[in-house]
Amino acid sequence: MGLRISRAGRRTNDQGEVKDQVEVDGKSERVPVAGVAAQVLDASGALVGEGVTDDKGILLITVPGPADYTVVLDESTLPEGTVLTNQTPAERAVEEDGFRTSTITINYFTGASERVGVGFFEKLAQRSVDGTRLGLVLAMCAVGLSLIFGTTGLTNFAHGEMVTFGGMMAFLLNVSWGVTLWIGGPIVVILGGLFGLLLDTVLFAPLRRRGIGLVSQLVVTVGLSILFRNFFLSRFGGRVRELADFNGQKNITIGPVGITPRDLIAALISLGVLVGVALVLQKSRLGKATRAVSDNPELASTTGIDSQKIIRIVWFVGGALAALGGIFRGLDEGIGPDMGLDLLFLMFAGITLGGLGSPFGSLVGGFIVGLFVETSTLFGVPSELKKVPALVALVLILLLRPQGILGRRERIG
Amino acid sequence: MNWGNIAEASFSAFFGVNAMYFAIAAIGLNVQFGYAGLLNFGQAGFMASGAYGLGMTAHYFQISFWWGIAAGMGYAIVLGLLMGVPTLRLRADYLAIVTIAVAEVIRLVVRSVRFKHFFGGSDGINNFSGPYRDLNPYLESGRYPFSPLDADGPTAALIVVLFVALAIGSGVVVQRTVLARRFPTLSKWVGIGVVAVVAFGLLMLVSRSVEYTGYSLWTITVGWALVAVLALFVWALMRSPWGRVLKAIREDEDAVRSVGKSVYSYKMQALVIGGVIATFAGMMFSIERGSVQPDNYSRDVTFFVLTALVLGGAAKVSGSIVGPMLFWGILAFADVFLHQLLASRGGRLELLGLEIIGSESQIGQFQLMLVGVLLILLMVFRPQGMFGNRKEMALDGR
Repeated sequence: MGLRISRAGRRTNDQGEVKDQVEVDGKSERVPVAGVAAQVLDASGALVGEGVTDDKGILLITVPGPADYTVVLDESTLPEGTVLTNQTPAERAVEEDGFRTSTITINYFTGASERVGVGFFEKLAQRSVDGTRLGLVLAMCAVGLSLIFGTTGLTNFAHGEMVTFGGMMAFLLNVSWGVTLWIGGPIVVILGGLFGLLLDTVLFAPLRRRGIGLVSQLVVTVGLSILFRNFFLSRFGGRVRELADFNGQKNITIGPVGITPRDLIAALISLGVLVGVALVLQKSRLGKATRAVSDNPELASTTGIDSQKIIRIVWFVGGALAALGGIFRGLDEGIGPDMGLDLLFLMFAGITLGGLGSPFGSLVGGFIVGLFVETSTLFGVPSELKKVPALVALVLILLLRPQGILGRRERIG
Repeated sequence: MNWGNIAEASFSAFFGVNAMYFAIAAIGLNVQFGYAGLLNFGQAGFMASGAYGLGMTAHYFQISFWWGIAAGMGYAIVLGLLMGVPTLRLRADYLAIVTIAVAEVIRLVVRSVRFKHFFGGSDGINNFSGPYRDLNPYLESGRYPFSPLDADGPTAALIVVLFVALAIGSGVVVQRTVLARRFPTLSKWVGIGVVAVVAFGLLMLVSRSVEYTGYSLWTITVGWALVAVLALFVWALMRSPWGRVLKAIREDEDAVRSVGKSVYSYKMQALVIGGVIATFAGMMFSIERGSVQPDNYSRDVTFFVLTALVLGGAAKVSGSIVGPMLFWGILAFADVFLHQLLASRGGRLELLGLEIIGSESQIGQFQLMLVGVLLILLMVFRPQGMFGNRKEMALDGR
């Protein structure tokens, strides 16, 4: 929970709008609340606009232009038994330079008024669950990144965009075309895989054949990242938007912890997929061949393994897993053009922690990073700086044990 | 299609403030990436250290402006050490990861509400460029023409010198890249001469309609002078024994170790020197605006500086100056061109029935997509950029 103001795009518009969305809390519960009154005041305290939220929980107020405003929610109009959470007080400031697009969204989160004084261990348990969910998504996205690095030596800085691709495709299918996610999801995963395969076939395989060095290829992935991110930004817009399915669910309470059915199922699917990947890598012939190519491509091909084919499969699987991660992340936090890039840094932290090039390492590392990020807020780290401890951990790992938990010393240069 | 406007906008951008501070950042990045082969993806973090060092010192501690410059440089040194110590003994990829992470963390921290008291949050720090403005000899809101024909005495002479240098420079480039292949029998000097004359003529023609405000002109003067000083410094540095060792490290680290040089130490020095140079970029940028804002130091900025550097040619000082100029010139060109094209086609651009640009606000993103494509094409087809030497490329190292 926490303040969510959308900022995106690079142009300011003269017609600013302030949008209030009052939603009932529980991190995973998003029930829109209607009939709540709010006002927008300008810098001198004069009333600019006011209104009442509709049945989608949205109130749209048009302001004359980009400037500093204050949004004030009338708490007496909140439903019985709910209050605003501490992080979203009734009075909120909107800054002039927040008007990167024409609309700023202010979310108000409410909670049941009895939930006061939650104990530390309850909070720890809840955050651990949240961290586990994030960790599973990270692990899924990171495995692909790690496999690509292992087999080709390339650090793919565009991997975040492969996650965003999954999110965008899910949005297209689910929201724009109205296909349910039970069918749309697998389609998106396959599309993600094809995207990865396409990148390898069209771009990276020819570059490898030409003998273009790894550093150059790395810079190419940076270019791809810029290209795709701005493509998504131009087509989708800067605002974060929700998928249509599985919204507005109530928490299931398991002991001190609450989780929505959607997130629980997503977590279970992620876990299943990860276990599946691990089993394939460990037990199947394909897995063995992949690990061989990760280890030493030339040596692997002397035993008859087609390294290039394995690399193509790795790109496909990496893309598919990233897309799946994108869907789950999108269900949780909404779809936006930056969704993958936000995760990229955490993915890198996870892979480094687990060991660059070791797929199992990325599972472990991603998981730990996710847990770390979410539980850090309990220890005084403000929500906006949640990612900072992951960086500190990254630097420490590199100082103390650069090969990570499961990596091998020879790989670190 | 108003070509006059387009040419004028491109010209302005070519010599303008953005190109200037990118050039400084690129010179710094060149030391790290072009000469030493270090993958620094956190240049924006160094720029932010410079800007915030200056801003915070001048604003909060009310100490003189000049101490702020020293403070900014100090932060850069600390930052370079912080990034370098864990990673310089490891693979290049690790430095890339750590630098991108550190730069992002810096941006998150200075932007945060929690530390708003120190860093000003998303408002940033304002009102510290007083001493700088006081030194301005030009009239702040006066409009100054940039053409030698309109400007007065000494300025006109300077501009003529600048134009001549540029004309000859473009002559050399065009000669080497295009004419040598198409017209191999044509004498080198004739080729250079012809292109130089044409370029000079174009510059004189277009500059007639360009004007800068007194404030911009002051920044341009100071900024480009700084660029010249830093470029000279780096050029001299790279010709020194120190520079030779650095280039050798880029080519073959183990060979350098075998003659007893500490590769780690040289790389660290390169990282820090490049970082300190980049802080000047941050400082110039924030002084010109009179404010330090966290969102100006995002990872996008790092990658654009990289693109500009690769465009000009890494490992060549001239590349790090011309690259940013071209980069901004091209962006300005694309901006005005696309705006006019869009207007003339009624607000939509279509190709083969598919909508490419649906509204004016999408032009910005389209431009940035072009930047991404440019970077990819450069790396694939011409990694040495315009001025670089293929043999000197650090990029094929691994």
